[in-house]
Amino acid sequence: MSTLLVEICLGTSCHLMGSQDIIDAIESLPPDKRGKIDLRGVTCLKTCRKGPNARINGVVLSEMTPERTLAVIEDNLP
Amino acid sequence: MHVSEVTKIRRKVLAEVSRLALEGTLEENIAGILSTVVSEDGPRYRCCVHKERAVLKDRINMALSQPIGTPLAEAAGKALGGERADLPAVNLLPEACDRCPIDKFLVTDACRNCLAHNCIASCPKKAIMVVQNRAYIDKTICIECGMCKRSCSYGAIIEISRPCERACDLKAIVAGSDRRAVIDYEKCVQCGACKVACPFGAISERSEIVQLIQRIKDGQRVYALLAPAFIGQFGPKVKPEQIIGAIGRLGFHSVKEVALGADAVALAEAGEFTRAVPAEQPFLTTSCCPAFVAMVEKHLPDAGDRVSTTVSPMIAAAKAVKEEDPSAAIVFVGPCVAKKAEARRYPDLVDFVLTFEELAAMFVGAGINVAETEAGDHLTAASRDGIGFARAGGVTQAVLDTVAHLAPGAALKPQRADGLADCLAVLTKMQQGALDANFLEGMACQGGCVGGPGTMADQRLTAKLVELYAGQAPVATAPDNTAARPEIDLHRRKK
Repeated sequence: MSTLLVEICLGTSCHLMGSQDIIDAIESLPPDKRGKIDLRGVTCLKTCRKGPNARINGVVLSEMTPERTLAVIEDNLP
Repeated sequence: MHVSEVTKIRRKVLAEVSRLALEGTLEENIAGILSTVVSEDGPRYRCCVHKERAVLKDRINMALSQPIGTPLAEAAGKALGGERADLPAVNLLPEACDRCPIDKFLVTDACRNCLAHNCIASCPKKAIMVVQNRAYIDKTICIECGMCKRSCSYGAIIEISRPCERACDLKAIVAGSDRRAVIDYEKCVQCGACKVACPFGAISERSEIVQLIQRIKDGQRVYALLAPAFIGQFGPKVKPEQIIGAIGRLGFHSVKEVALGADAVALAEAGEFTRAVPAEQPFLTTSCCPAFVAMVEKHLPDAGDRVSTTVSPMIAAAKAVKEEDPSAAIVFVGPCVAKKAEARRYPDLVDFVLTFEELAAMFVGAGINVAETEAGDHLTAASRDGIGFARAGGVTQAVLDTVAHLAPGAALKPQRADGLADCLAVLTKMQQGALDANFLEGMACQGGCVGGPGTMADQRLTAKLVELYAGQAPVATAPDNTAARPEIDLHRRKK
């Protein structure tokens, strides 16, 4: 089964801006959706001043919120 | 733990102030924060960019520990010079307060315009009439007594309160004549619950990060006393040793555990318990939570002599460091805002108090990424019980275990309270002799310190991680810990 790679930055700057909220939002998706996501933590995406940062399908996205992240995931789910 | 937009703004200000102070350009560039944190095209939370910047000025003054209204360059200069205004720990930011125009009593759609009209009959001011088939409260006459709400058979009248007022268990924050919130410092114990509750971010604690950064730059030996709730504050994947390593990179001379002070406190408090209860007093309360101690002083002074005379773990740990290195500067790093007030009683022992949030902002300002930092020293010279002080029930456990060791026959009957409303209610009952207990653990924050206002992680998760970490401690209880220093005088200073 193909999965969508979602990487969330766990660096201090992103953590301070709430990256854990994004992880929690993804973790609490219903099993059918959660199962299609390969969720990984990364330690830096090199855009620290615009956190929280995420990389979805290889594309770095800045100033993310849980809502925006879930919307992007929704659009990209296999 | 949800990081709201106001939380983000507060944190950005702290990180920017740290960055500029570390770079040595704070005084020249302080006004730049107004445009880096709130950009012209950025998201807007207030009416206009001017209002947002006015609010930001209040926030910057607070981040510099200067009085609200101080011109920014002057405030920066004073902070760099080490000056700190004599401010309470918790302060209202007048520009940020939205003066919540809340009508305390509101008639909802559930109103049936019944025949009884109990609301109208009950209103002592005749402030209620029927308009468009529904009860209507004339706000110009209403005195907010609540009689109508109680009298309505349908429960159709609801009471709405401001978030800050509702959060304050001690009724220390009310709307002033201009509807701005006013903190009554005669009642306030600086717990920080209102800060967490205000959706406009209009309440904030003062921060001394700039003064601290200057002290580090001056080359003084600065020690961090790390409260045990630090586990997991930088995310569940970040190791405790990485946090310690990162603190070292900031220029701190050394990192010590507050949990070691907690062991000393457990020994002293257990000794006090076995001596004084029941011979001299019917029960003893803990004294490690400064907001709880202040609550007793301000709201239940009759119970003052029931409070343990032992200092808090912060002070115990600070004393131990000062004995070894009298010229040390000491920084408590923890989840607590009330510690900022407590530290002012011990200016010779504790120089600065940082919340975990402020520590993280300093890391960001310094460009230190804890997740990529190499592990520093492994700490835990403390016992399992000492580390357990971080969560509700931990102190009780530590004192129970210590009493069992010191005086195996003594019967300690514990009672716990967390949240100030709970603390006040339980302590009142114990004063009346209405509870079968002789030891009270009082914690101002729900869940204990892990639920404090200066934290960055969910308290349930932190409690779990603290538990795991405590499980790895080399010894279980305070009496087993040879590193604990009970011989230091651990008597608390009263107001």
